[in-house]
Amino acid sequence: MDKLKQVILHVDLGNERTWVEKVKDESIRCLLGGRGIGDELLWRYLEPQADPLEPRNVLIFSTGVLQGTNAPTAGRTTILTKSPLSGFYLKTGAGGHFGAALRMAGYDHIIFHDSSSSPVYLWISREKVELRDAGELWGKGVRETNRLLQGQCAHPLEVACIGPAGENTVKYANIMLSYYHSASRGGAGAVMGSKRLKAIVVDRHRGVVRVAHPHKFREVVKLARENIYNDTMTKNLYLYGTAGDVTVFNDMHHLSSFNWRQSHVEEEAAQTLGGRSWEEAGYLKRRRGCSGCIINCHRYTAVDTGKYAGSYSGGPQLSTVGRVGPNCGIANVEAVFKFNELCDDLGLDSVSTGSSIAWLMETYEKGLITDEDLDGLKPDWGNEEAALKLIRMIAHREGIGDLLAEETKIASEKIGGESWKWAVQSKGMSPTGVEMRGAFSYALAFAVNPRGPDHLHTETMAEFGSTPEARAVIKKITGDEKYAVPDILDKRAEIVRWHEDIYAATDALGVCAFATTCAYGIDEEILAQLFQSATGFPITADCIMEAGRRMMNLERCINVREGLTRQDDTLPWRIMNEYNYDLLGVEDPIVSKEKLDMLLDQYYTLHGWDNETGRPVAGTLKKLGLEFVLRELES
Amino acid sequence: MNKYLIIDAEKCTGCNSCVLACSFYHFDLFSFAKSRIQVKKDPGKAISKPQVCIQCEEAPCISACPTNALSKDQITGAIRLDKELCIGCRACVTACPYGGVLFDEDDSLPLICDLCDGNPACIEVCQLPQAIRYEAIDVSANKKQGSGNG
Repeated sequence: MDKLKQVILHVDLGNERTWVEKVKDESIRCLLGGRGIGDELLWRYLEPQADPLEPRNVLIFSTGVLQGTNAPTAGRTTILTKSPLSGFYLKTGAGGHFGAALRMAGYDHIIFHDSSSSPVYLWISREKVELRDAGELWGKGVRETNRLLQGQCAHPLEVACIGPAGENTVKYANIMLSYYHSASRGGAGAVMGSKRLKAIVVDRHRGVVRVAHPHKFREVVKLARENIYNDTMTKNLYLYGTAGDVTVFNDMHHLSSFNWRQSHVEEEAAQTLGGRSWEEAGYLKRRRGCSGCIINCHRYTAVDTGKYAGSYSGGPQLSTVGRVGPNCGIANVEAVFKFNELCDDLGLDSVSTGSSIAWLMETYEKGLITDEDLDGLKPDWGNEEAALKLIRMIAHREGIGDLLAEETKIASEKIGGESWKWAVQSKGMSPTGVEMRGAFSYALAFAVNPRGPDHLHTETMAEFGSTPEARAVIKKITGDEKYAVPDILDKRAEIVRWHEDIYAATDALGVCAFATTCAYGIDEEILAQLFQSATGFPITADCIMEAGRRMMNLERCINVREGLTRQDDTLPWRIMNEYNYDLLGVEDPIVSKEKLDMLLDQYYTLHGWDNETGRPVAGTLKKLGLEFVLRELES
Repeated sequence: MNKYLIIDAEKCTGCNSCVLACSFYHFDLFSFAKSRIQVKKDPGKAISKPQVCIQCEEAPCISACPTNALSKDQITGAIRLDKELCIGCRACVTACPYGGVLFDEDDSLPLICDLCDGNPACIEVCQLPQAIRYEAIDVSANKKQGSGNG
């Protein structure tokens, strides 16, 4: 079979016009698919300095080249735009079945231009693409939106939509794929809301996904599957979900809590909150899997009794539990389930929501926000009723919720005083909950992440060396297992860059980072073979990693074009300055400016980026074949 | 003792790996419309139920076929289709009480599990949840009643 083509669907929301474009073969060779092609589209179509919430911003959905196949874990869809939180590059992703359906309907990428004058949704099937009136859906929650849209068709549909938070342009509104898969971070839902695009509906009926070389593809998939089944982490992810690691991180004192003032909570609280106890406690109703996944780490949980009886949701994931539970001082897991349900239905990133509420709790404690500002609400640490009420206020921008809807950086600028010191953010975004103090690959990865501080661009869990596979990866990168400890500065740049490369390639293929950087069933060699047999484009493992690096450089250049400098590659003030808690066995966990500068110097040098500006030098871009980027940056 | 596909819907994660593996095994492509196994879902409640031929002892699909195009493989127990005899009338689809017979609109032929010649592709992708198993069991009343299809 010939090489596989990739199809871009352009949607001009302002003029209600759609057209298709084929991705050039050269782009596929260089940037693979998914996030890579999405990066290229963002470079081409995002007008520099456009406000993220104005029509000139674009919103891109990109599927990986393996989505819709049974390559294990190929369920990840990437969404790209300019973030209203950071003003920089944003890629955010989610699992589920949306990407598989989109490819079956005949499209690999969608790019939305301009904004609609009234609420619309996009209908996609093999037969037609059309914009439809979404007046009756506007204002509806994610669940109701899914129900109403599915009610229009006898075939199963896949829906990507926003909730009220996106409509109200809450800066960290998410985009939900189906009911329970959240493209959480960075506010892509606010961009979708600003475009008055309520949903995208895909009817995959009678759709087909093909691969170029079925026989070879079958062989590689079998190998990948066996590797994943044999990995140490796989069974834990299946049995306990990502939240199973609440107790693991707590034991290591890497579970940030009370707005990052502590790094662990009482053991009993961690056990109740953690996914390992949910089955026995009756909360875990079903394990769930994204398209083609053989790990199945997702959950469906429900509360049967007590004041939260009747609440149900997908997940919650480790990051949600951490930011909502320990970070707000909440130890009642049932409140966390309720929190997760509300965030998903209203369309909010639970990480930024929990972090904003934790910031409010500390600001209230320190008296910078008083009862007069809060209309009867008392956001003391651990006050779950207040936290749950705040979620609705944030989604609808009511009262203090309007302030919190801006996230902690803007909120602290408005409140003033020293509240910026406990606004735990960088690039305008709150971090996910892995404690960076004393885990220096994470610290570096969080600081240089183009979208802001979290682990979902560069998952460096291997630095903990907690499984044989993780230690083997560190040895492969650095030459020695001894570097598989988190609190040393040596080799952190190498560890981060390797994980950047493979994570980007993983996104481009549409597989899950759990198969490449958490469990290690799929390495760069298997990625190359999967890509080659699926698409028909010959590629080596080295070229797969180089494509990942090309994406990182392109993303860097998108940010440079938006004005990013070395000063933006930083960490929250608290992470760099405060240490009055209890990281076990680590003498000097703070990521001081001196340490961060040392890490950045190593990292920029390794990348071939200018040490003063953080900007890729001309030779680096030329070597990666990014001359078209260089030309524009120099013009 | 014959081996049978055993479905435990409570364990199904809804990942569709079985559906994709099935169409790929038989047609070298990935398509829900060309798979012999389907997963019926209520996504809001996260409920999913695999539906596939469970090799009834006395198969209603065989009895319903007006052209004798269906028969039972004496070795595996799977239903076999003689494409030459099939007229695409869908009587077998209607006759199956378990939703185990699907229909290929492109080829106008029924899609019935053939157990992949004794090595079902769907089993390989469901090793952790084990919502689908392929096991030797005594001819059981349970199988005949299809209770395993939950």
